[in-house]
Amino acid sequence: MDQVISALDPFTGFIYPNEYHLQWELLIVLYPYLTGLVAGAFILASLERVFQVKALLPVYRLALLSALAFLMVAPLPLMSHLGHPERALEMLATPHTTSAMAMFGFVYAWYLMVVLLVEIWFDYRADIVHLSNSTKGVFKYVYKVLTLGATDVSPKALDFDDKAGKLITIIGIPSAFMLHGYVGFIFGSIKANPWWSSVLMPIVFLFSAIVSGMAAVLLIYMVTCMIRWKPIDMSCVNKLSEFLIYAMLVDFTLEFLDFIHRLYESEESIHILGQLIADRLFLSLVILQVLIGGLLPLFGLVMGRFGKLPDELRRMVYFISCVLIQVGIFSMRWNVVIGGQMFSKSLRGLTVYKVHMLGFEGLFAAIGFLILPLIILTVLVKLLPPWVDKHSEKAAA
Amino acid sequence: MKTGKVPQQLVVLGCIAAVVVIGFFTMRALLIPKSFGKYGHYRADAIEDVRALPISYAGVSACAECHDEVVKKKATGFHRNVSCEVCHGPAANHIEDPTAIKPPAPRLREGCPLCHNYNPSRPTGFPQIITVQHNPGKPCMTCHNPHDPVPPVTPKECSACHRSIWNQKSVSHHAPLECTTCHTVPKEHFKNPRLNVVGKPTNNEFRGKCHSKDGQPGKELLDLSKVAPKIEMLHAGRYRCWDCHYPHSPEGRQ
Repeated sequence: MDQVISALDPFTGFIYPNEYHLQWELLIVLYPYLTGLVAGAFILASLERVFQVKALLPVYRLALLSALAFLMVAPLPLMSHLGHPERALEMLATPHTTSAMAMFGFVYAWYLMVVLLVEIWFDYRADIVHLSNSTKGVFKYVYKVLTLGATDVSPKALDFDDKAGKLITIIGIPSAFMLHGYVGFIFGSIKANPWWSSVLMPIVFLFSAIVSGMAAVLLIYMVTCMIRWKPIDMSCVNKLSEFLIYAMLVDFTLEFLDFIHRLYESEESIHILGQLIADRLFLSLVILQVLIGGLLPLFGLVMGRFGKLPDELRRMVYFISCVLIQVGIFSMRWNVVIGGQMFSKSLRGLTVYKVHMLGFEGLFAAIGFLILPLIILTVLVKLLPPWVDKHSEKAAA
Repeated sequence: MKTGKVPQQLVVLGCIAAVVVIGFFTMRALLIPKSFGKYGHYRADAIEDVRALPISYAGVSACAECHDEVVKKKATGFHRNVSCEVCHGPAANHIEDPTAIKPPAPRLREGCPLCHNYNPSRPTGFPQIITVQHNPGKPCMTCHNPHDPVPPVTPKECSACHRSIWNQKSVSHHAPLECTTCHTVPKEHFKNPRLNVVGKPTNNEFRGKCHSKDGQPGKELLDLSKVAPKIEMLHAGRYRCWDCHYPHSPEGRQ
């Protein structure tokens, strides 16, 4: 009997044989998390460029470079999970119109090549031309290549850069929405899985992306300021946290709406989903996503933004809140991806998932994929400095 | 670089875009196999490739040509849907040279537990054993003929076949009850279970014996029924008790 009980230990109820092993593991959790950071960072950049929120100027270029760094790494977890990375190309070479993943592969390519790279190029072009003339050695040639031969820095050409950059940002906003909406679309369109199948899924993913991207850029900005021994532009971080509060409120409301809609609808899956939340996902959903990663940072941001706090404490509150937001949004991705595979399609049993340490899909690989964008960002920042300290000083004056 | 009235940047980006687009279509032209899409969204030559693979399995009809007695016997038993080569391995080369190449005949305990070791996801009634406890070390075919497998003796315990339900019940509030307290079991059920299914309670009055306030359980249930949760018989309304309370489940009160 003891052996039976111990054999039953990892799961409860009834599980189909092909549900013991989860097909989508930690790396698939990483993918929506990383694309979310991309979309969020880009939308943050568009606030300055299109909607003329001038207070966000110090983080505008940093947000663009962050988006590029995260976007370069985002497909790597998927390709690593695939086992045969070269097969990823087949999806683009012979796309099937009924495949959401294939079609959105083109959205991804469009977003990377047409939106993000071109916008960064237009934005930096004058700087690159200047650097190609003022630097020496290897970097001189790197910058020469980056100019792509367009060395015209006349006022007319710079005006064209500005207008073109703005136009691309306008095109980029729906593209960013599509990029992250599609991740939710892919989960939301799986009819057989009641935890995923929801029309709200793309919108929930999108807003959580905006939240995580804004928080990530705020974190990166604060850390880079500390590393560079430069003062943090408080008007910028205040404005950023204000937008973050609004985005969090919308995100939280949408997720709550999805939750009460499921409760009210009370489909046959509601019992097993209730067990899923109360048992398997209690820590990652109720504690990490809702309380520690949702309500607590929201409270912190509101206190930091609207409370009467000294600047130093305010910065600390923002910093801790943004870290907690990252924990919350990562938990949300975890709860969607892993949670959706933890209950049986018979709606009568729950299984468990244990993270592996080693291997292509292990914890260390995932940590590597989280660190890699930061290394790329460091290189990008060295190559294309995004700092606008002079402007900040003028604005402050 | 002079580009006339067209901005220099546009010319540069236009050229790069053209290179990317041409590169993409060149890549398609080079990488996509010629036969792709001939019959559908796949490489048509793949069919020929698969056809060219050596045949490993002979199929049950080939076995029947020589081993007709065994095949006939198996066709009437519980293993009728298990192909010969599931246990004996691929036998195409045995057909080609029956004397020189003999397919293996598993005689120890390695094969049977693949299907018959206890696994809660297997259907109710599927014969299952806990291999480490069930006659350890003894080859299965000492007691069971794999071509016509029947238990050497009729199982006395319901758990021999209904292990999953038995496990659930054994940790539920109904653990002390015998299965026959609620189920009527025809004698023939032990010989031919699928044709002689057990009876189940059909109305709420049955449950009411133990769980209604004025229920009258039999002598054997008298002590147990004292600790059973009591309800009014109108509690369920038009529903059956088991619409909400699965009697075998440890969470029977949910």
